[in-house]
Amino acid sequence: MNSELNFPSGDGRALNIREKIDGQGFKELLEAGLTWLRTNQQLVNSLNVFPVPDGDTGTNMLLTMQAAYNEVSKSGEANIGKMAHSVAQGALMGARGNSGVILSQIWRGFARGLDSHDTMDASGFVRALTEARTTAYKGVVRPVEGTILTVTKDIAIEAEKKLSETTDMQVILEAIVKEADASVKRTPDLLPILKQAGVVDSGGKGLFIIWEGMVRYLNGQSLETANAVVQPLATMQLEETMESVEPGQDYEVVVDFRPSTPLDLEKFYSDLSEIGTSIQVGEGDGMYRMHIHVPTEKRYEPIDYTMTLGTITKVAMENLVAQMETLEKKADAKVSLAPVEPGQIAVIAVSPGNGISRIFASLGANGIVEGGQTMNPSTEEILKSFENLPSDKIVILPNNKNIVLAAQSAASVTVKKVAVIPTRSVPQGLSAILRLDPDGDFERVVKDMTSAIDDVETGEVTTATRNVEINGVEVHEGEVIALLNGNLMLASDNLDEACLGLLAKAGTDERERITLFYGLNINKADVNRIVDKIRQKYPSHEIELHEGGQPHYQFILSVE
Amino acid sequence: MIDDAFNSLGNIFVSHKAIATIASHSALESYGVVGLAPKDLAEGLVQVLVKDPSLGVQVDFDGKNIDIDLYIIVEYGTRIKSVASSVADNVRFMVEKAVGLPVKSVNVHIRGLRISNPD
Repeated sequence: MNSELNFPSGDGRALNIREKIDGQGFKELLEAGLTWLRTNQQLVNSLNVFPVPDGDTGTNMLLTMQAAYNEVSKSGEANIGKMAHSVAQGALMGARGNSGVILSQIWRGFARGLDSHDTMDASGFVRALTEARTTAYKGVVRPVEGTILTVTKDIAIEAEKKLSETTDMQVILEAIVKEADASVKRTPDLLPILKQAGVVDSGGKGLFIIWEGMVRYLNGQSLETANAVVQPLATMQLEETMESVEPGQDYEVVVDFRPSTPLDLEKFYSDLSEIGTSIQVGEGDGMYRMHIHVPTEKRYEPIDYTMTLGTITKVAMENLVAQMETLEKKADAKVSLAPVEPGQIAVIAVSPGNGISRIFASLGANGIVEGGQTMNPSTEEILKSFENLPSDKIVILPNNKNIVLAAQSAASVTVKKVAVIPTRSVPQGLSAILRLDPDGDFERVVKDMTSAIDDVETGEVTTATRNVEINGVEVHEGEVIALLNGNLMLASDNLDEACLGLLAKAGTDERERITLFYGLNINKADVNRIVDKIRQKYPSHEIELHEGGQPHYQFILSVE
Repeated sequence: MIDDAFNSLGNIFVSHKAIATIASHSALESYGVVGLAPKDLAEGLVQVLVKDPSLGVQVDFDGKNIDIDLYIIVEYGTRIKSVASSVADNVRFMVEKAVGLPVKSVNVHIRGLRISNPD
């Protein structure tokens, strides 16, 4: 056995499965599938099409597989039929989420195919896979294609086809893993919502990973490190790797490239791991993105290396040490919430950024829920923010039109008296909270705060993520767009023009005060330049500038 | 009729039956659910006469929130608890998405199990 593998429970008998396999061998393979799934859990989780009801597919499938394995972990059963039934039983008892239930049905069918067999040979294996497919499909009236069900079906069909060529079980297993991979890649063609989100089906991917883990084990490949994994570009989450910077790895290098020949991922990864750590590779449309952490002296090596593989389109390099310092600074800036006494009215504000949270807190917010345009908080998160407050009179400021609903459903499931003020933007929320009188009559305060919403014009400046035409305004991807009270007003390739144009459309001439919140994705020099221009154009207006810390939006501004 | 008060130009009325149809459709797409069942004898009799797309779904509206009751048949051999919670999630999500009103509760009643494969 390969020394990298760490299977205390098995004796390696599964490694020779070409002819047949018994219960203990099956258990080893199962453990390999489980381990590989655990290694890739986050990858599967990241494939969720936001917002779908079935939350964390990877975690759900892992817990289901874990329950299945726990059922047999101490069993010395050699009969594969009995072993498979125990596995199915464990999966059934531990099934979590939609994907978990389907997985448990797959194992149940698999076990039925092995009924009253001592060992499994190639034909038994194929029979079990076919039975797994049948059972899985029986569990639903209207099967949705492009999901884990489709992958189960494709696996069974491929296995049957292979059986006519060979009786070598390992060959069949390798063939179905290959087919499962291809089938997963086809899911976006069958299910439009996947295509829109630019991902493959998460449940199908999870199933593929379980089978792939078994093959990796047979081939002596590592199951502990998720190396040869390519994620869809759209879901690459580079921020997370920031938290795990190893000492000495001072630079982060991200290279976008188009390989001139098909990429040998295994080799690519092993070559990269010679250079640095925290390796991630993303793929989309033949385009690859490579992410790596390297020590200072090796910072150009990833670029030189990638150059040998194809054409580099973009390189980004960042000093992690400096980045970490700003991160730490951010963590220091903790928001201190206003205290609330029993009997007083408490205010919960949803805030898209740290700076805005601080402003809300300074104006009397007693709870902050993080959330905004692309990160809507759940009902539960909103509920949690006020359930433990000592007050039973709660006012929620959703501050985004997409969050109003979640806030209302939070209001409906609590025993506390909750009013949701339908603020659709941060400035509306701020002007509402200015009217807060914590000791006042609840109904009157809510009415007061609600009426304040209309006094303010809200502007937002952000970058367009796709081409579109709305309200007669033609927008190209990458252009700066300006929204007034949620409606698209203008698009420009110049940030300064967009800001000034927006203010003109907001009727700033007749108003007195302009408040600007600048976001994460704009640097201080740009902010100062734009504020200077605004000051020149509106010399008699009162202008306030705050650090909002919101993502995506360069500016959120209000005119009143 | 359920009145969607969010609209500024006028009112939108969504019938209970429309919501029931959405709920029924998403319930049947949910894994583990193999059918819907009449909630009582009367509905069972009506179903014999007319094919009603909202069979086994009851929608209540109290002026603010939607409550849905689902009467389902589950595949024998699946974990009923997981099936029930995922059908509730699915129905809530689809109805909220389609109608834009908060669903306060989805109560799932397991009316029977279908045994298609005796173990």
